[in-house]
Amino acid sequence: MKTIAISGKGGTGKSTIAALIVYWLGENMSKSILAVDADSNVNLNDLLGVELRETIGAIREEMKSRVSGLPGGMTKQQFLEYKIHSSLVETPNFDLVAMGRPEGPGCYCYANNLLRDILKTLGENYEFVVIDNEAGMEHLSRRTTQNIDYLLIVSDPSPRGIQAAGRISRLLKELEARVGEKYLILNRLHDPIPKAVEETIKDEGLKLLCSIPEDQKILKSDRAGKPIWEIIPKSSAYQTIDRTMKGLSLERRIRRTHGF
Amino acid sequence: MSKLIATRAIRGAQKLVLRAEKELNQALQEKSPETKVEFPNTGYYLPISHGILGLNIETLGGLTALLEEAKKLLPPLPEDELWLPYLGQTLDAGMATLFADEIIEALKYTQNPLPYWTKPNPEDGHLWLGAANDVIMRERGIEFVDGTAPGFAACVGHCPSNQMAVKIARELQGKNLYVFMSAATDGKSMAQQLQEEGIQMGWETRLVPFGDDVTATVHSLGFATRVALSFGGAQPGDFQRILRYNKNRVFAFVLALGPVDDEKHAQAAGAINYGFPTIADTDIDQILPTGICTYEHVVSPVPLDRIVAKAIEVRGLKITITKVPVPVPYGPAFQGERIRKEDMYVELAGQEKPGFEFLTTRELDEVEDGKIDLIGPEIDEIEEGSQIPLAIWVEVAGREMQTDFEPILERYIHDFINCANGVFHMGQRDINWVRISKEAKQKGFKFRHFGTILHAKLHGEFGKIVDKVQIRIYTQEKEILDLIDTARRIYHQRDARLADMTDEAVETFYSCTLCQSFAPNHVCIITPERSGLCGAYNWLDGKAAYQINPTGPNQPVKKGKVIDPVRGQWEDINRFVFNSSHKTLEFFNAYSMVEHPMTSCGCFECISGVLPSTNGIMVVYREYTGMTPSGMKFSTLAGTVGGGVQTPGFIGHSKQYIGSPKFISADGGAQRIVWMDKNLKEEMGPVLREIGRRIGIENFYEMIADETVAETEEEVLAYVTKMKHPALSMPPMF
Repeated sequence: MKTIAISGKGGTGKSTIAALIVYWLGENMSKSILAVDADSNVNLNDLLGVELRETIGAIREEMKSRVSGLPGGMTKQQFLEYKIHSSLVETPNFDLVAMGRPEGPGCYCYANNLLRDILKTLGENYEFVVIDNEAGMEHLSRRTTQNIDYLLIVSDPSPRGIQAAGRISRLLKELEARVGEKYLILNRLHDPIPKAVEETIKDEGLKLLCSIPEDQKILKSDRAGKPIWEIIPKSSAYQTIDRTMKGLSLERRIRRTHGF
Repeated sequence: MSKLIATRAIRGAQKLVLRAEKELNQALQEKSPETKVEFPNTGYYLPISHGILGLNIETLGGLTALLEEAKKLLPPLPEDELWLPYLGQTLDAGMATLFADEIIEALKYTQNPLPYWTKPNPEDGHLWLGAANDVIMRERGIEFVDGTAPGFAACVGHCPSNQMAVKIARELQGKNLYVFMSAATDGKSMAQQLQEEGIQMGWETRLVPFGDDVTATVHSLGFATRVALSFGGAQPGDFQRILRYNKNRVFAFVLALGPVDDEKHAQAAGAINYGFPTIADTDIDQILPTGICTYEHVVSPVPLDRIVAKAIEVRGLKITITKVPVPVPYGPAFQGERIRKEDMYVELAGQEKPGFEFLTTRELDEVEDGKIDLIGPEIDEIEEGSQIPLAIWVEVAGREMQTDFEPILERYIHDFINCANGVFHMGQRDINWVRISKEAKQKGFKFRHFGTILHAKLHGEFGKIVDKVQIRIYTQEKEILDLIDTARRIYHQRDARLADMTDEAVETFYSCTLCQSFAPNHVCIITPERSGLCGAYNWLDGKAAYQINPTGPNQPVKKGKVIDPVRGQWEDINRFVFNSSHKTLEFFNAYSMVEHPMTSCGCFECISGVLPSTNGIMVVYREYTGMTPSGMKFSTLAGTVGGGVQTPGFIGHSKQYIGSPKFISADGGAQRIVWMDKNLKEEMGPVLREIGRRIGIENFYEMIADETVAETEEEVLAYVTKMKHPALSMPPMF
């Protein structure tokens, strides 16, 4: 399993990039992909053109509100597992799980603890896990997300945006999250990279992976509230993603369930 | 026991001792007393006399001593007019028989030519092998110790047909048992029947023909004796240890095929000494009381097609299947495997189709071990990508099985099926959900294999309580819908059974010392109405855990004499707690938090504490991080309450306990609750409203304060005063 997490401030287009990456992986590597929508504000499922079922957040709330009345004398672990597995959206190209709304007040340690184990086991069933992360990185800080192979921080081409990306990068260091490689993606570039931006990237110590030019097709589709899945292969942004992903040398890993 | 069977065994023993005497005297007339007597290539002298009596017989003359012992043991025949408990006499007659057998068999080895073939397998028309030599003993005996072979079936007589003889032999081989054959009836023995059918015999195939004489049966017990001497560390002459070792470790039995004469009755009596029961297909008298053998001693008549299953049951032989025989890899590594829709061949039950899983107990004779029925289409009869219903109906039987174990075993269906590679299993009861991958289908995985897995694993993991397992797999809707209501009714009964169980109704509680690694002096006493304070264990769980692991942290504790029925104090419980708490806690009250309450480890779900001015208590859940009206946060409270010390006024407990009628019942019960943290209160809403109904106060739920209306004890008092909370008018707690 390889985990690719995409993060960034709201409005930088990170969910679009997550969708492009899911598409690219399916075309070039494997259809064994788990897309994780870990951003409660933007819905990855809309971009991917699928209906959500229950979110993990809703399941967690349901479990917390039950005392002993779990159906069939099930343990909480089993109940949560069952619900999460049935909440999965399944398509021929990928499966999708949505984290849903963030926690309310109160202690979620127990629920999150269970959740982490279940999501980890679930993820291990796929060759790729693509996480569309919230800017606040709640799931990283709560350790519901573990072991990331590639963290791609998306920013618009402005010094302020780059600074925000730098903060995310530093935050991760402090959280001691296990991240393999960390890159910056500049999105919605109109012109060559402005000088100020270039300098800020250097100051923040970020490695630029690629710049994606503003893509009118996607923009139009997005503004119309339409899924972008169908138009992805024809979009110019996808050309950039294609080149970039090939450069990442993601070797296909054999799924753990095979070869035993 | 029956006088008739005792008479027959004793008469058989008398005949055999007489025959031994005659043959020995004749041999002594023909040969010198110094003539060497031995079973060839054995270092154990004659095994029965050496093991049981400590005799080292090496010569013809030496056999005289054994004959004397046999005569000494030989009881008189029961009198016509007098009935006595005959078991002791029958056992003595059995032992005398074995001594006589051994004399007669030893004499055969002084003959020329030898009546036995001394190689491990029959060859060139030589069928009978006689006593096993030391090489065979070392090779084969160890299998009895390491469990490769659980034991042997000593088959005497013959079957009505050769086909039946072959079938029984195959069935016994299938259970990894050795088949020892001796004692012809009407001139024919089972070994000859196998020979006629061209079946390969010998130690290698575990089908061992000892001899056609009835006395050759002694080679089975001689072998058993040597196993105890070589591998069980028993000393020659220590007969008790040898016999007990065999009873406990060697799963052997006698199959009496066809008519059973006096001499064969006598052999059966000999085998009982070793704890080996006899199962006969003809109608002979039974010895049903248990004791010397694990269960019954002689059982008959048992139809031949069921005789192996019955013998295994009576001997208490536990079937272990080490490898789960399915065409896909199997093991815990495959748990948690999700079958993606794209990889899926078929989906069973789940959100789209009905289904359930159910495990129930049946009588031993109602269950045919290993029987798997599929009702509905098999996997290769359905199209790829289908969604079909699925019910798994498991019937188990066992001498130690109890209906209380059903839900526990049933929960394991999930774990067991999930371990198959390419099979995804979720849920339980009537929310089961299964997927089978295309790859597993292609490797030959069938719906029937659910049964194969459950049969193997239930035996493997619960062999202590499960003797027989049969499974029905339903894959068509009609039958499932017919049965689902039955299953649901029983699920409901199971839930209700625990809910309705009272502390008064049982004699035994269960201890839990799982947490003594954290709190060395704490011991939980789990009663039907007070679950473990961690909320993880209830009384039934404790009971089941004990049955499954009798030396584990959950032990049964008899209540003993009631000291205080109101506060919940019992003599034997106190004694147990005193010992298990390393003599730190002399007594406690199960239903009081004020006077000598039960101690806590630290794993409690909730803490209850007295709020003195309100005349009531607060209950706080472990996930509540805010301040409580006691002026302490949960973490501070936990430090005070935990660690196995009694802190009057405070207890740790499970959420479930709040709803119990025994919740601090000595202190006034749940109507003392004046404050709860909001999450807990909401979560416990239905329970609290039920308590309200019980005490006749409809708005009891609303009367309980939480952190949104009261953060200090004064504020709680003000709130409950305003609400006219019943605690205010109750007697003082202290």
